[in-house]
Amino acid sequence: MSIVRSFRPNTDYEKCKRCGICQTYCPEGTIMVIQEEGPLIDYRYCKGCGVCANECPFKAITMVREE
Amino acid sequence: MSELDRRFDDYYAKRKFYGGNSCCPGCGGPLFWRMAMEAFGPRTIVYGIGPCAGCTMRSIKLPSFNIHFSFVADGASGILAAFRAQGINDITVISSAGDGGTADIGLGKISAAAERNENMIQVCIDNEAYMNTGIQKSGLTPYGSWTTTTPLGKEAPKKDIPLILAAHHIPYVATVSVAYPQDLKKKFEVAKEIKGFRYIHVVIPCPTGWRFDPAKSIEVTKLGVDTWLWPLYEIKDSVLHLNMKKEAKPVKEYLETQQRFRVMKPDQIEWLQKETDRRREELLTLDGKKLFY
Amino acid sequence: MVQVRMMEGNEAAAYGAMLSRAQVVPAYPITPQTELISFIAQFIAEGRMKAEYIKVEGEHTAMAAAIGASAAGARVFTASSSQGIVFMEEPLWMPPGMRLPINMCIVNRSIAPTGGLRPDHNDSLLQRDTGWIQLYCENSQEVMDTIIMGYKIAENKNIYLPVATCYDGYFVSATASKVEVPEQKDVDAFLPPYKHDWYSLIPGESKERPSRGGSARNRYEVQQANERAKKIIEEVDKEYAKTFGRTYDGMIEEYNCDSSDVVLMTMGSMTGTARDVVDDLKKNGKSVGLLKLRCFRPFPTEEFQQLAHKYHVIGVVDRNTSTGSAGGGIVSMELARALYHLDDKPLIANFHVGLGGTDVTPRQIEYMADKTLEIMKLGRVSEPVDWVELKDLGPVM
Repeated sequence: MSIVRSFRPNTDYEKCKRCGICQTYCPEGTIMVIQEEGPLIDYRYCKGCGVCANECPFKAITMVREE
Repeated sequence: MSELDRRFDDYYAKRKFYGGNSCCPGCGGPLFWRMAMEAFGPRTIVYGIGPCAGCTMRSIKLPSFNIHFSFVADGASGILAAFRAQGINDITVISSAGDGGTADIGLGKISAAAERNENMIQVCIDNEAYMNTGIQKSGLTPYGSWTTTTPLGKEAPKKDIPLILAAHHIPYVATVSVAYPQDLKKKFEVAKEIKGFRYIHVVIPCPTGWRFDPAKSIEVTKLGVDTWLWPLYEIKDSVLHLNMKKEAKPVKEYLETQQRFRVMKPDQIEWLQKETDRRREELLTLDGKKLFY
Repeated sequence: MVQVRMMEGNEAAAYGAMLSRAQVVPAYPITPQTELISFIAQFIAEGRMKAEYIKVEGEHTAMAAAIGASAAGARVFTASSSQGIVFMEEPLWMPPGMRLPINMCIVNRSIAPTGGLRPDHNDSLLQRDTGWIQLYCENSQEVMDTIIMGYKIAENKNIYLPVATCYDGYFVSATASKVEVPEQKDVDAFLPPYKHDWYSLIPGESKERPSRGGSARNRYEVQQANERAKKIIEEVDKEYAKTFGRTYDGMIEEYNCDSSDVVLMTMGSMTGTARDVVDDLKKNGKSVGLLKLRCFRPFPTEEFQQLAHKYHVIGVVDRNTSTGSAGGGIVSMELARALYHLDDKPLIANFHVGLGGTDVTPRQIEYMADKTLEIMKLGRVSEPVDWVELKDLGPVM
């Protein structure tokens, strides 16, 4: 069963400072921030709500239209 | 299954919540429960749900028992008595209800459970209306808010449930917000160590019912706190402790973020600002003082 | 040492709960049940009963707390009457569908506005669609015994249904009669500790309820459990008789029915008066027997079908009304349906008496006995529903 969403979060790993705010505030809990890798997103369950992009202090996440 | 999927499944299993849930995008509910669960630990069970609160609660892996929507705090009283009768005393019982269950249909029951000082943590998951049945007004809908049953805006302000329950002389009352997770977790850790009836009230953002872009969920919640419409405080043994005392942002900033307040007239917004300022002054004066006899 | 004492019904019920080792009692006072819960509170305070008494703020909460406690592994006891039963109607539907073996006493009291504090059976009969097992008691001894048997029936692993022990307010609850109180060790041997195989609220412990979802399937399963309960009720009664020396003949008792072509059928405290009247009538040459309906739910359809051929007329005495019904009182309609498909079935007369808790007098019972004999002679029922109390029958005895 796959999830339907209009937008998906896209990460710029250069800008990301691994602060973890996206992981804290993701309502679904589908972001895992790893020090070496940055934010990993579980696209099986991400609803594309956009909270992560909105809260990121470094604007490292942008919402792009789902294909 | 990809490597990433497997890593996430391990992550969910370790943190004891489910990756997906059936809540609306941007709902603050599952956020609240995830934060709560980290503080409470695995030896916890949850009783009771309101429809939205239940939807959010199903995102965590804790044993839960529910009767029906109007049964607030009563089944938990029975569960606690059964545990006492069997000599089980190390399980934290959380009793959860929505704003309708807490302030309307179940208020008498919560009051009675508070009076009996039942050893449970009563949590109100407040999305400020009967959301799951299609956005109808509840006792905790804020002044001026549109709902399907108050299309011209709600006539009366929110009931002050935290203060009502504090007047029952219960050991601990707290208001929390998902926008301030450190404060939230600290309060849960405090609540866990206290015996007796504890009440925690959280206002969670509801993009569907409040009518705003889900991406702004945390932003809107922060504004609710920062405008002093939703002050964060604790009442420990009837003594008030304000957790946040910064300057208040104008309430207009908060009201403008959500379409449900579009029906408010300028004089109503003015009244709300005056009342919020007055209440802020009052709370600052009472800070550190004992509130009730 | 078996104690023999005069005891009111409410005290006997409290003893029943105590001997059954009920662990959680959530209860709210209402006349005529109040003494029952006061006695339980007293027993707990004296240390004779180890139970948690939850002083709830209303009957709706009482049943909800009972549900929570039963699911969490405790043996639960509660009680209420009339307005309290109606107030707890919302949670009353839960235990049968959730298969929780809660035991409660319904101390019968009529329902407002066409009722007061005194008893009739509408409050318990109102629950007949829920799935609760219902047993009706005649005196204090039977109340105590039925509560103990009730737990044995309810907690049977093939049943898991809640049981309501019903007895008339004032006439049983506040009237003293002789009671033999069994010893705790004998009751312990008869009634093992409660453990539900399908429920656990302990984190880490996992149990499973063996049933598939869907309303029709769930309801069918509760119905099947009710059917299975018929045999269990009879078996438990026999086992109780072997251990404690008292039997209640299972679901239906036939009293002094030998060589009777007609019978009256009663439920509850009026059975006691009816026994005396029927004995007197027999001495004076009028042969009317007495059926005591002890178990209303599950309705003993098969048992009735088997004994129906013995009688030409069954005069059903309904201490209840079902306003606007197809014809008469609740018990008479159930009996009519039970016997409907028999080729050779008795006539059914229906009497309304004792409504709102008025005394069911010997004169009224004699009148009803005479009426059933008349119906047998006529070969038909002249008055389908007989409102006995609205007739002037002369002196009470």
